[in-house]
Amino acid sequence: MSAVMQSIANHDAYLAGLLPTPTTPYEWLNTLRTGAAQRVRTLPFPTTRNEEWRFSDFSLMCKTVFAPAIATPALTLTEIAPFLLPEAANSRVVFVNGIYAAHLSSAVLPAGVVATHFSAMLTNETLRAQLARHATFQHEAFVALNTSHLQEGALIVLSKNTACATPLHLLFISTASTTPVASHPRCLVVAESGSACTFIEDYVCLPTATPSPTYFTNAVTEIVIADDATVRHTRLQRESVAAFHVGYAAVHLGRNSCYSSNSITFGARLSRHNLHITQSAEGANCTLNGLALISGRQMADTHTVMDHTQPNGNSAQLHKCIADGGAHAIFNGKIFVRKDAQHTNSTQSSRNLLLSNKGRIDTKPQLEIFADDVKCAHGATVSQLETEEMFYLNSRGLNANTARNLLIYAFAEEIIDKVPVASLKQHLSHTVSSQMGEIV
Amino acid sequence: MSSTLDALINRPYEYGFVTDIESDALPKGLNEDVIRLISKKKNEPDWLLEFRLAAYRHWLTLTPPEWANITHPKVDFQDMVYYSAPKPRKKLASMDEVDPELLRTFEKLGVPMSERKALANVAVDVIFDSVSVATTYKDKLAEVGVIFCSFSEAVKEHPELIKKYLGSVVPTADNFYAALNSAVFTDGSFCYIPKGCRCPMDLSTYFRINNGESGQFERTLIVAEEGSYVSYLEGCTAPRFDTNQLHAAVVELVAMDNAEIKYSTVQNWYAGDENGVGGIYNFVTKRGLCKGINSKISWTQVETGSAITWKYPSCVLIGDNSIGEFYSVALTNHHQQADTGTKMIHIGKNTRSRIVSKGISAGQSNNSYRGLVKVGANAADARNYSQCDSMLIGATCGANTFPYIEVHNSSAKVEHEASTSRIGEDQMFYFASRGIGAEEAVSMIINGFCKEVFNHLPMEFAVEATQLLGLKLEGSVG
Repeated sequence: MSAVMQSIANHDAYLAGLLPTPTTPYEWLNTLRTGAAQRVRTLPFPTTRNEEWRFSDFSLMCKTVFAPAIATPALTLTEIAPFLLPEAANSRVVFVNGIYAAHLSSAVLPAGVVATHFSAMLTNETLRAQLARHATFQHEAFVALNTSHLQEGALIVLSKNTACATPLHLLFISTASTTPVASHPRCLVVAESGSACTFIEDYVCLPTATPSPTYFTNAVTEIVIADDATVRHTRLQRESVAAFHVGYAAVHLGRNSCYSSNSITFGARLSRHNLHITQSAEGANCTLNGLALISGRQMADTHTVMDHTQPNGNSAQLHKCIADGGAHAIFNGKIFVRKDAQHTNSTQSSRNLLLSNKGRIDTKPQLEIFADDVKCAHGATVSQLETEEMFYLNSRGLNANTARNLLIYAFAEEIIDKVPVASLKQHLSHTVSSQMGEIV
Repeated sequence: MSSTLDALINRPYEYGFVTDIESDALPKGLNEDVIRLISKKKNEPDWLLEFRLAAYRHWLTLTPPEWANITHPKVDFQDMVYYSAPKPRKKLASMDEVDPELLRTFEKLGVPMSERKALANVAVDVIFDSVSVATTYKDKLAEVGVIFCSFSEAVKEHPELIKKYLGSVVPTADNFYAALNSAVFTDGSFCYIPKGCRCPMDLSTYFRINNGESGQFERTLIVAEEGSYVSYLEGCTAPRFDTNQLHAAVVELVAMDNAEIKYSTVQNWYAGDENGVGGIYNFVTKRGLCKGINSKISWTQVETGSAITWKYPSCVLIGDNSIGEFYSVALTNHHQQADTGTKMIHIGKNTRSRIVSKGISAGQSNNSYRGLVKVGANAADARNYSQCDSMLIGATCGANTFPYIEVHNSSAKVEHEASTSRIGEDQMFYFASRGIGAEEAVSMIINGFCKEVFNHLPMEFAVEATQLLGLKLEGSVG
């Protein structure tokens, strides 16, 4: 018993051990950071005793001591070429181990569009007004930890009625290093009224070859969508299979605004993604798509909250998990329909493929409804591949292995197909098919 | 909605029964001495006392669960009387003395005249003698070897069976309220169906007439031996009054090879007034163990009463090919809160489970479905289908769904569906255009909504349950 208590106490102290020491030249930021650091010291390390972390056990990461990255390794454009998107050749902001890499970034953008890093513009009014306003850290230890490090991050601002045709690529690269590194990436996206953009939040690892490096990414993204604005968000998590990844995204929607999210998880030993969406005005629209494709000893946990607070909102969610080997996939999707949110139309579907008896899937779609004139439905399924479908493909001359791979590929493709950037879509399809073995 | 009806339904409940305070009651509070005294008063064997004490000692280490979606003031467990001898109720001379509210309910529900008297505690006439009816039933059951008696009686008459099965499904350490029940339970029912026996009658029929005061901490144990079948019903559609605020019952079911147990509940305990004052806290642990191959346990519940319901009738499917079923209608009105659902634990191969849950919330009430479907690593080809539908009546109530799905086996197939709807103005308009009044229309819509569950109730109760829901919802629509 005492050993258990000891280990819990150690875990609680663990996050405090990751707190930063230096302060910034900005007083408002220091106040924010100190407040967050205070929360890190008081909030317990999330354990499976906490309902929100019931299935995702992160205690494994406490065995490793992560240090902040000090200097950026000198990567070249050629080295990061596999991650570059031709569509976003001139709209790319790159960070290496959480540090902004000017020589890898390129942002030649039309008027009214800003895509940059924000450490140099911490006096900016928009930034000060929005930063850390939406991703509250009072109850989230990892968000607090990220906020306590707040100084650098990616910033996208779209001026009123500006539509940005080119996708904006935010690339976060983690590299192998002698001591395991912790980075705390931060994104802030502000879409002013009537604007529209597509952005890609991309977490990758270099080198891609084995042995996979161990590191810790603790990302927080805030997206503020004003009235009538549209944001298309693609989030890719392609970390090394030995990495730890915790992400939190807070989305705030204005009147008649639109938000669509494609969240794709391939990597990390243990990963957790929280997506918290608040429809704070009437008539907002959300489309959420998610895919976790994991195997081996990976664990991927996705928690989403869709909060309808005002009338006439729409949301449609489809989340898919594929777990092979000893992998463990978790999905928890909450939909809240508050008292005033009459005429809300909300659907949610969690579909899961469990391919191995060593694997595990836990899913919990959750509805909390406090308004009567609403349409809400959710569904969840967990199964293996349909024998009828296998039989059909076999009858067409495909052998069992090919048929299996084809069906899994098709299952994943439904989500990948929704990614709005052609080259990326193709790349992801390729990743899935190569993971499945050659099928076509 | 007619104003007379409104006035009737909104009238405060008056307790129709006089309860004589028994001198045989223990003082308030709970400690080991109280438990020893309970055990002594009931002349229990030592092993049962040990069972109680072990449960009590464990209970002391526990804290009341707070995860449920309910709010209530803290229950003071030292401010309760844990034992009082069965209280004889004052016999009423004729139906004229019965609370007119109760009579109206009987009328609405269509309870047969003969049973009304028994339920209202009116001295029965010569034609309908509950004692003789009970005796007839008892003879009939004894003939086929079914044991059906009170728990205390079973402890004396069949100690070996009680010893073998008590706590085998719900261990004393299971949860806070189960531990409390194990420590202080006073009575309940025991039912044993021997090998190959198909119980000749629905135990419900018997039960309804003979059901005495169930007591605050009730314990039910049903064992169905190989190849047997029993249908059991607890509770009653008629409103039940009870001065005990907290009810913590434990129900254990054991089904052996090829056995089937069908357990139906209709619960209509006092729900508090329309301002949420008073009412019963119903914190129940119910679990069935499908121990043998091809065994089947089916729970059907209609929950309309209690201020707070906290109840998850579960099935542990150990035997290969075993089946678990859960059919539920939970209705909350005014300030009632219900957090109810089921757990289906698939352990054996080829096990199947089915969940159909219908929640209806009205007034300022809050109704939650909380369910768990767990498929163990060895439960090859397990199959589950769950469906939970909610209906909201009015804009001030809440409906929540918390389904947990945990799958460890790749050959399992688990499906869950949930939807939310309301009684639409267009539906009401349609009924009105056909000359059907608001009240009847609501009743019909609700009926259609709950049909799948009512189909699984014993016939006479299905009819009454239908009426009951309509009755409970009077005044909420229109």
